[in-house]
Amino acid sequence: MSKTLSQNTAGPINTFLIVQVIISILFIAFLTWRLYTVIDSGAYGPDTWLRFAISGLIIGSVYSVIAIGYTLVYGILFMINFAHGEVMMLGAFAGYFVFEALKSIPVEATGLSFLDSYQIVSVILAFLAGMFISAVVGYFLERIAYRPLRGAPRLIPLISAIGASIFLQNAAQVTFGPKRRTYINPASLQRSVGWRIPVAGEEVILTYTGVLTFVLSILLMVTLYILVMRTRYGRSMRAVAEDKQTAALMGINVDRVISNTFVISGVMGGAAGVMWGIHNGIIYHYVGFIPGLKAFTAAVLGGIGNIPGAMIGGMILGVVESLGPAALGIDFQLKDVIAFSILVLVLIFRPSGIIGEVLSEEKV
Amino acid sequence: MRDQLKASARSGLIFGVVIIFLMLFGLTKTLSDILGELFNLQSITRTGNSGGLMLLFALLAWWAGSRAAKEDKENWKAVLRNGAVSGLVIGSITALFTFLVGSLDGADIEMRTYLAQLDRPSVQFLLYGRSIIAGALMTFFIFLIFNLVGALASYILETRHAGGYLQKKYLQIKDRISGTSIVVRYKEHPQSKWIGYGILLAGTLLMPQFLGKYWNYAMGTVGIYVIMGLGLNIVVGLAGLLDLGYVAFFAIGAYTVGLLTAPAPIPIQWSFWPVLVISILLAAFAGILLGIPVLRMRGDYLAIVTLGFGEIIRVLIRSDMMSPYLGGPQGVRDIGGPSLFGISLSNERAYLYLIILGILLAILLTNFLQKSRVGRAWMAMREDETVAQAMGINTLYYKLMAFATGAAFAGFGGVLFAARNQYTGPADHTLMVSINVLSLLIVGGMGSIPGVMIGAFVLKGLPEVLRELDIYRLLVFGALLVIMMIIRPEGIWPAPRRRMELHESGLEEIPPDESLIGEEG
Amino acid sequence: MSKRYLFFSILVAVSLILAACGGGAKAPDVCAENPDETVCAVIEPGKTVKIGYGGPMAGDYSAFGIDISNAGLLAVEDANKAGGVEGFDFELLVEDTQGSGEGGASVANLFVSDPDVVAIAGLTFSGATAAAIPIFNAARLPMLSPSATRADLTGGDQDVFNRIPFTDDIQGQFAAEYLFNVLGVKKLAVMHDGDAYGKGVAEKVQEVFTSLGGDVVAVEAVTPGETDYSAVLTDIGAAKPEAIYYGGYYPEAAVIAKDMPVAGLEGVILFSDDGTFGDTFIELAGENAEGVYAASGAPVSSPRVEEFNTYFESVYGDPPGAVSTFTWHGYDVTDALIQAIKSVAILGEDGNLYIPREALVQAVDNMEGYEGLTGMLSCNAGECNASGPSFLVVKDGAWVLP
Repeated sequence: MSKTLSQNTAGPINTFLIVQVIISILFIAFLTWRLYTVIDSGAYGPDTWLRFAISGLIIGSVYSVIAIGYTLVYGILFMINFAHGEVMMLGAFAGYFVFEALKSIPVEATGLSFLDSYQIVSVILAFLAGMFISAVVGYFLERIAYRPLRGAPRLIPLISAIGASIFLQNAAQVTFGPKRRTYINPASLQRSVGWRIPVAGEEVILTYTGVLTFVLSILLMVTLYILVMRTRYGRSMRAVAEDKQTAALMGINVDRVISNTFVISGVMGGAAGVMWGIHNGIIYHYVGFIPGLKAFTAAVLGGIGNIPGAMIGGMILGVVESLGPAALGIDFQLKDVIAFSILVLVLIFRPSGIIGEVLSEEKV
Repeated sequence: MRDQLKASARSGLIFGVVIIFLMLFGLTKTLSDILGELFNLQSITRTGNSGGLMLLFALLAWWAGSRAAKEDKENWKAVLRNGAVSGLVIGSITALFTFLVGSLDGADIEMRTYLAQLDRPSVQFLLYGRSIIAGALMTFFIFLIFNLVGALASYILETRHAGGYLQKKYLQIKDRISGTSIVVRYKEHPQSKWIGYGILLAGTLLMPQFLGKYWNYAMGTVGIYVIMGLGLNIVVGLAGLLDLGYVAFFAIGAYTVGLLTAPAPIPIQWSFWPVLVISILLAAFAGILLGIPVLRMRGDYLAIVTLGFGEIIRVLIRSDMMSPYLGGPQGVRDIGGPSLFGISLSNERAYLYLIILGILLAILLTNFLQKSRVGRAWMAMREDETVAQAMGINTLYYKLMAFATGAAFAGFGGVLFAARNQYTGPADHTLMVSINVLSLLIVGGMGSIPGVMIGAFVLKGLPEVLRELDIYRLLVFGALLVIMMIIRPEGIWPAPRRRMELHESGLEEIPPDESLIGEEG
Repeated sequence: MSKRYLFFSILVAVSLILAACGGGAKAPDVCAENPDETVCAVIEPGKTVKIGYGGPMAGDYSAFGIDISNAGLLAVEDANKAGGVEGFDFELLVEDTQGSGEGGASVANLFVSDPDVVAIAGLTFSGATAAAIPIFNAARLPMLSPSATRADLTGGDQDVFNRIPFTDDIQGQFAAEYLFNVLGVKKLAVMHDGDAYGKGVAEKVQEVFTSLGGDVVAVEAVTPGETDYSAVLTDIGAAKPEAIYYGGYYPEAAVIAKDMPVAGLEGVILFSDDGTFGDTFIELAGENAEGVYAASGAPVSSPRVEEFNTYFESVYGDPPGAVSTFTWHGYDVTDALIQAIKSVAILGEDGNLYIPREALVQAVDNMEGYEGLTGMLSCNAGECNASGPSFLVVKDGAWVLP
């Protein structure tokens, strides 16, 4: 895309390029200088840097899982599923209700609640419920708000998605109330508790919930990658992404594939929601919106439409958010500014993201 | 017949689920109260108008029944059968739900902790203040009976004489109207449309005199959004650049006028008019500045980058770093307003006139640009960038120009907004502003000036009218956006060209009603 | 306001009171001379005397709006049970400001356009209030806010705004002194949520704490609405503070309490403001709430307060203070306005109820010795409660005096 542009355009583009290069060099020089000053000042010990990194990787892994939801849908339909954050939120609520229900079931043998007696089962149940509900929401979202708009100009489904996002957010608010809720985890998954790693005379806590989140995210993404790249079903998905008409001619049920894509993206969103609840502990109707926005940024950062891109984009965004302000010595309030600036910079030099998109040119 | 029954059951199922969601949202109560008040119904329970609830259910059942009747319009037996099936399904679903809720409530389980709308009084209300069984049965029979009534009524009205008669009458009246001399003359002489415009303009100019303070203010807000909509129309509608960070320019306009006319945080107190010009120029300049790095990006990337830009501006204006210069979260107070010949124009009515003037200017400018070489270049670019380039259009130049013009409009809107409120702060410049402006474009009709106005009325005016619905405002708004996209994607008053484009793509084939009902499920 | 104007209005008020004492049943002079609704509200028989309330009723902070208006509705119900004013019922109009300045101005214009609205029990947030004050001032509608605490709201060229909570400045001062003197903290980190309220208090704490001789080792702001603050807290942790002061509301405070151990801040005191105080904070933060300090404007227990608490819980299900600390304030402002209206309203011979607006503004401005749930309220230049906050700490899942 960018190649064709620079070939075709003559004069002004070069001026723009020069301006861009100058701005970027200045920016990188500024970054290096800030980084040097901060490290030189010794305000942060190695333990602090480790904490930043841990926090960033955990949140980044959740971003990655959400980003995959955007990427899958975008890869197939070329539309931004703006309501994906809300799908995640509803998944988080489903997990919350499962925990609440299990907590209220007493088990006679142990004298504890079901939640604390069978902890692994409880967590699995919560994830299943979250994934199921989000998948159902994703499915109906596509059926009701997007399918009738197939073939319409690209703005139309985007607006529909924005509408669906607003609707779901407020529906959750009026149904569940505006109150924030705390995930009551099983006893062994207490938040802020974990392995203590001694670093430079300090103890850095690696929380159980954080490790669970991270490991589970990687597992989910690897599974999905294998599903898309190695299985017959994945092949039909890729075929639909490549060319819907030809795929239909080859005997693929395009509608079914698209529906299933939404279901899969819902499953990922639901898992992300439950992880969010277990690790961060607090959920409410708005909890999906900001992570959704961030995850979409992450997907674009990595190169929308491809799975490793979403993963790398998410991790980078998470780490930049948690480590960036400290490394540059600016206020944490401005972390979103850093995140979005990086997005702009990456897009200027690699207009299709870090990894590049896996899309056919003619579709775009 | 089997298919018919299946379809009726399906439609009943959708209705039932939607009604359960209405109960979960607590909308049944609000709607019942409105209905009850409207028809002056008696209430049995203290907590809500149960007469209204019955009426609401009856109306919904009527609607469901008349839809079920459409499965087979010819045969009254089939109509009754379909209505009965649909009624049975809805009735049993809702009755089961009320029964469940009632029993849970009876078992002293606090549902309110998890489902905010199902507190004790609301449950009593859903049971009409009766026992669980009686309440559930009542719901069941209301749905069953009125489904049948609705089905029969639609059969009689539509298929039998009455419906046919009404339709004939309607066509006659329509013919008569379009046959009258005024309409014919209007159609024959295009220049007579200027008379129409004149009447519209006069009406608009007289309007503020008759509106109260509140409506002048509300109309002013609508007007500001019209100006911004016209601006975004240039960027998105004409040039085809999806901009989700439009609020950034709005903020730049608002803050420029704030900082230059208010006593704090920067002690410059210039007068309004020069600052207005400065603000607009600054916003346009910011548009160019943003444009330079992002214009090589394709549609969706452009969307996310502009969205990021909007967020950056918002984060910056509320940040500690900028707060000595921009006022931080407290915003800027005591922003100066305009005055003319020593008369202060700082009241709602004067602002409304100022805004109307702004709208007129914006319309003239848009019209001029649209018809000029620039407008044609934009539209060519929107249709196909590569071809436009091949035709010798310097796309980067025209893109920047679109961005700058759109930004200038937004800056103008920001100035009016801040000056009228005498205050601006970070809370005024959220992502919702961008989304609202974009949505009003879509709802009204992209690329069409009257469409933008209607869109602004719907988006900013309607919520003020719908204040009754209080906490459901955004809920209804979100649903409306989706429904609108499905049944009328070209907007309420589309540009003629766009209507044609959208109707080529086969959207008409989709049965609109089904999607409409399914939405809330 | 010019002195002459003040003199004139006092004159009017005095003459009104005299007229009222004289027991004259005819419409008051000021109302008879100016049949304009902008000078004198005329409530026809069958209509209600309306008091406006505006707050966030939907969205993120709707808990505040719903809680305060619920309390206000009880006050109106009580007043109407007691016969209203001259047989006229009161009504509380509740409108959504969305917590923003724009929404505040919009709601203000809505109230101003309704001639039957005579007083405003609000608004709730400082931003919305700031936008609304000029509008109410022009229309001469007295305001009595339960919760708008930004210091600079009172004063300026207006005289309609009054409030009953202590201001952010007073709270900040008390908090800094308490931290330094009572808790013996010497190294403090200051955090806030970047909103007007939290930032205002936090900056005051920082200022006073430094002037007391303490050391503020870090200042950071969080982005409200997020549920993970481990990164910013890690940054704070690197500065090794003995305590963190957080200015903001409970949702973010709960997240901070939850993330502190991970960020190397175990054993560090978290000290917050009255936006954090409330049972919801404990519910959200769980075990991490233990040892957290917060300021409270909740009233000292008394039979009347207890009675109100029981009644409120029986109506709404939650005890007052569960959602916000302003429940009692919500009742008090509405009730105080009702009393003020009663003191100036006059039943005309034509059966209409006349409420002179200027006199009502003055009556609220000069409120003296009103016995509310939150204590004795007397207004002075817009501040109706000079008492400071009390500080409470979470012990075994409940707020107790330390």
